[in-house]
Amino acid sequence: MNYLEPLPEGCPPDEATEISVPWEVFRLVRTNPPSRDDFRSQRAEKPDAVFRVSECQARGLSVFTERSDSERALKLPRLRGRVICRLRLKSGVGRIQQTGPPSHHTWWPLAAYDILADSGVETV
Amino acid sequence: MNTIRHTATLFYYDGPQVFEARDEIGGHYVAVMVEPQGGLDRYLVAGIAPERLRQFRAGLLDLRSLLTERAVADWFLALAPAGLNVPPELQMADGSLADSPFLPDAGFVLHDRVAEDLALREARARNNLVLELAVEPPEAVEEHRIRVGTLVGLLNHVQMLVKHAYGAALRDLALSTRRAIDRSNAHLLDVVIPATGGSFRVVLEAAKSPDLLGQNELARALERVDALFDKVANPELAADVLRANRGHLAGAYLRLLRFLIQHKTGLRYSWAGPTFATQRNRSISEGEAAPLVSLLSGVSNLSSESVYLEGTLEEADVTKRTWRIATADGKYSGEVKQGGPSLEGLKLGDAYKFSCIEEIEAQEGAGREQRTLYLIEHRPV
Repeated sequence: MNYLEPLPEGCPPDEATEISVPWEVFRLVRTNPPSRDDFRSQRAEKPDAVFRVSECQARGLSVFTERSDSERALKLPRLRGRVICRLRLKSGVGRIQQTGPPSHHTWWPLAAYDILADSGVETV
Repeated sequence: MNTIRHTATLFYYDGPQVFEARDEIGGHYVAVMVEPQGGLDRYLVAGIAPERLRQFRAGLLDLRSLLTERAVADWFLALAPAGLNVPPELQMADGSLADSPFLPDAGFVLHDRVAEDLALREARARNNLVLELAVEPPEAVEEHRIRVGTLVGLLNHVQMLVKHAYGAALRDLALSTRRAIDRSNAHLLDVVIPATGGSFRVVLEAAKSPDLLGQNELARALERVDALFDKVANPELAADVLRANRGHLAGAYLRLLRFLIQHKTGLRYSWAGPTFATQRNRSISEGEAAPLVSLLSGVSNLSSESVYLEGTLEEADVTKRTWRIATADGKYSGEVKQGGPSLEGLKLGDAYKFSCIEEIEAQEGAGREQRTLYLIEHRPV
């Protein structure tokens, strides 16, 4: 499968769930309406950076499955001013894995998937 | 110039937004990501008293209060030009932190709900996986008391069960995933709080800290252990689960159950990681353990594992029925059981494939396991 970004071997990990039923997730975006730049991984944003997370993690997108966690994150200085964007992920859009506090997940979207056109993207 | 070393990520979103750190002399700090400077990640950093940090991790204190209500006024900004793998240098910041635009808004707490259960509370406060054990041996009826031998045996059996559960969980992963995991000491537990009221309870913490996302390798093992305890009320179903986990894990579980029966106690345990919403609880009573052990004792080869070796035969003693083979992974010695294949005719220095079963015998009190390989088939390569 081709993912939005080139991934290292073994990524996404076995534990990541193939999205086969609709998922509602929330991402913090910089612009309203969101643009493609709002869906770039850490690695895409900082090609030469050294991350303490795995390369696989760095090439995925952070999302929350609980809106309340998104609202909480907006209290942080680096995320203040961002907008909460709800996405309705359809079956076959990639893989997802819980990777943090209760609702933090990492999503690895497939390359063929047009996030802005097909995810029912709306800021909330 | 003072530097800090990242020790644990407390909140992650497209990078560590909040993390805790230590300086060269063990001082505790909290760092919060702020606007970058020159394209480099930048953090607000402040020294924090350990007890206040514990309260923040447990969800009892919000981040703004943690940063502003401190005994010292100093605060810092730190750039992370090479990520957090290189300890960032602290630059003293001017002015009062309370007036700084870098402060988070009020109300940022790590957990929405205060944990009421002990394992979850401790997991959050320690920012690590915590396992709480409770047993009720006869001596604990009147007070918080347990025989030394019972405690040592219990801890040893639980550690062995977790060790084999971790091994079994890893075997189910793809090779590429296994290679990506740092498995060193991942199965080890430390005793951290040896006393709470009621029955005799012991609280253990993962010897290894969780990863940057708050996840601990030990959770793989405890999920396996949970599966073993899921059906204990129904011995037939429980036996099926154990058959599916045939091998050293089943053996360790069976030895733990026999130990509980011998010491006239059941076992309750709870565990949680720092990011869990609820803790996981499982138990087995003495009354549930006895029929299960009785049923399982009749299942042959439940606790042995198949091992395949390929290498050069270095030693074969037909009389003593012992052998040694050198493989690419190292040298292995073993025995041949009565009724097993003969070693006669094998040539030292030739290459063979050995099919063996490995059996483990626990050395009571010593905290060790004696592993023995028994040859069941051999053929030349």
